[in-house]
Amino acid sequence: MDFFDYLGNVPEYLRDEWRSYLDLAIDHAQIVVTAILIATVIGVGLGVLTYRRPPAAKVVLTVTGTFLTIPSFALFGLFIPIFGLGSRPAIVALVMYALLPIVRNTITGLRSVDPAVTESAVGMGLSRGQRLARIELPLAWPVVVTGIRVSTQLTVGIAAIAAIVNGPGLGGPIFQGLRATGTQRGFNLAFSGTVSVALLALLFDLLFQVIARLTTSKGLR
Amino acid sequence: MTDASRSPEPMIRLESLTKRYPGQAVPAVDGITLDIPKGEIVVLVGPSGCGKTTVLKMINRLIEPTSGRVLIGGEDVTRADADELRRHIGYVIQQIGLFPHMTVAENVGMVPKLLHWEKQRIAARVDELLELVGLDPAEYRDRYPKELSGGQRQRVGVARALGADPPVMLMDEPFGAIDPITRDRLQNEFLRIQADVRKTIVFVTHDIDEAIKMGDRIAILREQSHIAQYDTPEAILTAPADGFVEDFIGAGAALKRLNLTRVREVPLDHWPAASVHEDRARLRRLLAESEQGSLLLLDEEDRPLRWVTARDLAREREPLHRVGLPATAVVEPHATLHDALDEMVTSTVGCAIVVDRRGRYQGVVDLGTVTSAIDEMRSDVRRRDRAVAEAEAAPGDAVGEVG
Repeated sequence: MDFFDYLGNVPEYLRDEWRSYLDLAIDHAQIVVTAILIATVIGVGLGVLTYRRPPAAKVVLTVTGTFLTIPSFALFGLFIPIFGLGSRPAIVALVMYALLPIVRNTITGLRSVDPAVTESAVGMGLSRGQRLARIELPLAWPVVVTGIRVSTQLTVGIAAIAAIVNGPGLGGPIFQGLRATGTQRGFNLAFSGTVSVALLALLFDLLFQVIARLTTSKGLR
Repeated sequence: MTDASRSPEPMIRLESLTKRYPGQAVPAVDGITLDIPKGEIVVLVGPSGCGKTTVLKMINRLIEPTSGRVLIGGEDVTRADADELRRHIGYVIQQIGLFPHMTVAENVGMVPKLLHWEKQRIAARVDELLELVGLDPAEYRDRYPKELSGGQRQRVGVARALGADPPVMLMDEPFGAIDPITRDRLQNEFLRIQADVRKTIVFVTHDIDEAIKMGDRIAILREQSHIAQYDTPEAILTAPADGFVEDFIGAGAALKRLNLTRVREVPLDHWPAASVHEDRARLRRLLAESEQGSLLLLDEEDRPLRWVTARDLAREREPLHRVGLPATAVVEPHATLHDALDEMVTSTVGCAIVVDRRGRYQGVVDLGTVTSAIDEMRSDVRRRDRAVAEAEAAPGDAVGEVG
């Protein structure tokens, strides 16, 4: 049997099983969303704290950059003794992977605010906090959202690997399928899981286009 | 008070204000002391690197002075809460720095919002200010900065600085990045606004012509913000304190001085003038009785029409409105003597015709008028300098510092 023979049998399989894939996709989306929310809070926070301090910014970017180089398979495994099994180690790992794009874009966005805008804000008597909340973050926002979007794409894929720590989501069928390579059942599982992950990533991307549009001032578009 | 240089209480007083940057041998600003009278525009002008912007930014403490004091309304602000201080000082910079993500209304209403004004009051204030700077509120209030031209942005910048009606405004080369024609218009508009609002304004520029145009007083600064001369534009142009000031004013000081006097401020000369409908014999008599070689003909509404000589009048077959030369070189009373002189040199009879708003003939100005206006200015300054010198000589009489 070749690839197309296997493929031909997939529709029949999904007709019976699509509900369980929908459930898995929802679980998958849940850990991704949780991880991204946490990473956004931490990442934007780190960006805000370091964008005016180049040495500190460099440390943060180097550390979060290093996280990305750790093979995900290994990282999930390392977390078992610390966080046990399930979604907890998965979310911690995903947060680590999601940090770099968010931190980097926050720093870039905040640094790209026109100095004349900052000067006039200071000159008008906006305090440090008011400047950040009313001027700098809203102006940096389109760049920050792009960072969050990249992180989301990244984590949707990596979250599949969370299955090895018994994490929830679409990684389950993929790993099961890989264990049964060479059989129709194995193909059904791996293929359906992979395509679902891709579809989910696509959906998130659309969602972010809508979010970016709704949360960016008309004056910046 | 007849003595202009001695106003009662200065709105802003700089006392030995100094800024020293670490690692630099000489201070950027070395102990500048300056009184800025209430309701006036004081222009700090000087070559680049003289520290004029640093002086300006020490007033709202965007730059913290190393030593010295800034008094605003008699109060030392060098130790006040900087953010609170800045909310009561309008600030306009060359790059404007409008907030691109906010509408015109949100930009202009920013400081009132920081001061917790009520929504309705802010909205009313925004509309009032947009009117003031010549932007129709209905059309512009909901626009974003990117939807405005450079000149419109600068107007919004001025409106924003006036937001909470601050008594003091600081302007750092506000019209520096705008094309010359728009700049001229914005300068005139700003002077018109200032005539209404009467703010105490410190204005920084490197352009002496702008300083002469905008300033009630000008402080010419040399390196480290040492004051070379602090006086009215008239006095600086008429009696430059030293070679530095002379060089800085550049060539044509006398011509620049002519920008300071308007036609309505000088006595007009009278030229023989008559209606184009008069009969020729009377016109000839009028011309013969005058010392001039030509006659100015006016139309039925008293507007200048033609210059005619005795020879032109003799050409009986031609109608009067076609003989002679067209009456050009016409100025209105608000024109400066510089404008009048400009017209004069192109005029056939060597004088500029002055008309009122409706174009009706009022009189003429000629070179003699211009020369005596310059003499007048010169003797005014001399008289004032003498009065100051006498006041200084009699210590009991000296009330305040002389600028």
